[in-house]
Amino acid sequence: MEVESNVNLSMREVNCKLGMFTRPDGSVFISQGETAVIVGIYGPIEVKPHKILINKASVETHYCPKSGMPGIADKLCESILHNVCEAALASALYPRSSIVIIIQEMQNCGGIIPCAINACCLALLNAGTDMKFLFASASCGLDDEGNFHLDPDDLFLETAAASFIFVFDSIGKGLIASHTSGSFNLAQYQSALELCKKAAEGIFDFYKSTIKKDLKDKI
Amino acid sequence: MAKQFKSLHPTKFYRDYLNQDIRPDGRLVSKFRPVIINIGSIATADGSALVRIGKTTVICGIKAELCPPKPEKPNEGFLICNVELPPLCSSKFRPGPPSDLAQITTRFVADLILNSGCINLKDLCIVKEKLVWCLYADIICLDHDGCIIDACLLVLLTALKTVRLPVVQYDAAIDKKTIDASVKKCLNIYNTPVSTTYAMFEDKIITDPTTEEEEISSGLLTVVVKDKELCSIHKPGGSPLSEEKLYECINETVNHADLLITLINTAVSECNDDNKNC
Repeated sequence: MEVESNVNLSMREVNCKLGMFTRPDGSVFISQGETAVIVGIYGPIEVKPHKILINKASVETHYCPKSGMPGIADKLCESILHNVCEAALASALYPRSSIVIIIQEMQNCGGIIPCAINACCLALLNAGTDMKFLFASASCGLDDEGNFHLDPDDLFLETAAASFIFVFDSIGKGLIASHTSGSFNLAQYQSALELCKKAAEGIFDFYKSTIKKDLKDKI
Repeated sequence: MAKQFKSLHPTKFYRDYLNQDIRPDGRLVSKFRPVIINIGSIATADGSALVRIGKTTVICGIKAELCPPKPEKPNEGFLICNVELPPLCSSKFRPGPPSDLAQITTRFVADLILNSGCINLKDLCIVKEKLVWCLYADIICLDHDGCIIDACLLVLLTALKTVRLPVVQYDAAIDKKTIDASVKKCLNIYNTPVSTTYAMFEDKIITDPTTEEEEISSGLLTVVVKDKELCSIHKPGGSPLSEEKLYECINETVNHADLLITLINTAVSECNDDNKNC
């Protein structure tokens, strides 16, 4: 389906910094527009007895909001992050151990879930944990006139008719996760999927250049 | 022998079945479980329903209370959903604070009701800035055998359709409420969102999975539709899925939705025949 020309097809600026903490095995600070998160990875580390799995590593995800205790909205976000990371990690390589992923929200100006997912992937790369594939997330919003807006901020989301979050894998570009809000029809969903898939490819390139630069700096 | 084999190699057990396009419970891969809806199960509630999808059983009671509205939304009432997964329904849950799954389901169902616009909170307003209805929808799972989101959404929508609210007269000058319980009004439900869940197992898609199937699957997909429109496509991670398969699932849900909506409407209309004061 053709997308109108008056659509915002550019992502907000993505910046990141790798390995800024010394204690975690991998850490990243990532900002996507005004939204920013920090992710730290510990793993594989010793596992608590009640969480032990004999055939694979147990993946623990902790999403910490900017202030206060995690609410039920944060739990939903955490469950998506957990399932995405668990699918991507080659956890069968680390039986009887655990991989802990800590996501600290710094600022939420819309699109915290895609930003956190991308941060998790970069942090896992930084930690050097074995993965089956990389993953990248992109979001888009749909306004009342049916125009798509890539990587919407919170101002747009307030008035949006629908919003979509997608996570893709790096190998077959298959859909790992999909989360939507608002109502839409099938054609709109398909266009949103295509749009986000293109954006996700840009994020995979971003991973590559970031890791390349990081390795060059180390040498 | 099959029993021992199943507990030792659950994945292989299911793979052998699914390669023959049949499931251990005798269903085909793309077959839904029978759905049973009962209405007015709780006489003391303002609206109630009980839903069974296969063995999954959930019950929902709706309690209406009068309260003042929020200052920022003076003409809107409240609908507060709560999904409870007590230890009774499955060995996975322990007593104590709500489990993660219960919190996630609560949030997801509440979001769906809001997104679909099936209920207009302005209809719950009695006197602007003074008095509104607050509906507490408590959904309790009695038997957890997969597709908990589908069951919760179905039971909530059915229960909402059975809600009867008395007419309230409010005298602002002396802050006096007069409740006329003899005249009861239905709630306007603008559309009926219904959902179906799919589980991914290797390269197969299993429709309407049971708990066992959910546990061995590599990911779940929930599709919510209302009036031929999509309301949510929720895939919280898991193994990657191709787009063709995703669209197949969506089409299947759209076809199945008609059946579920007919079922809800039949149940509700029978209830309306019983008490004609609506």
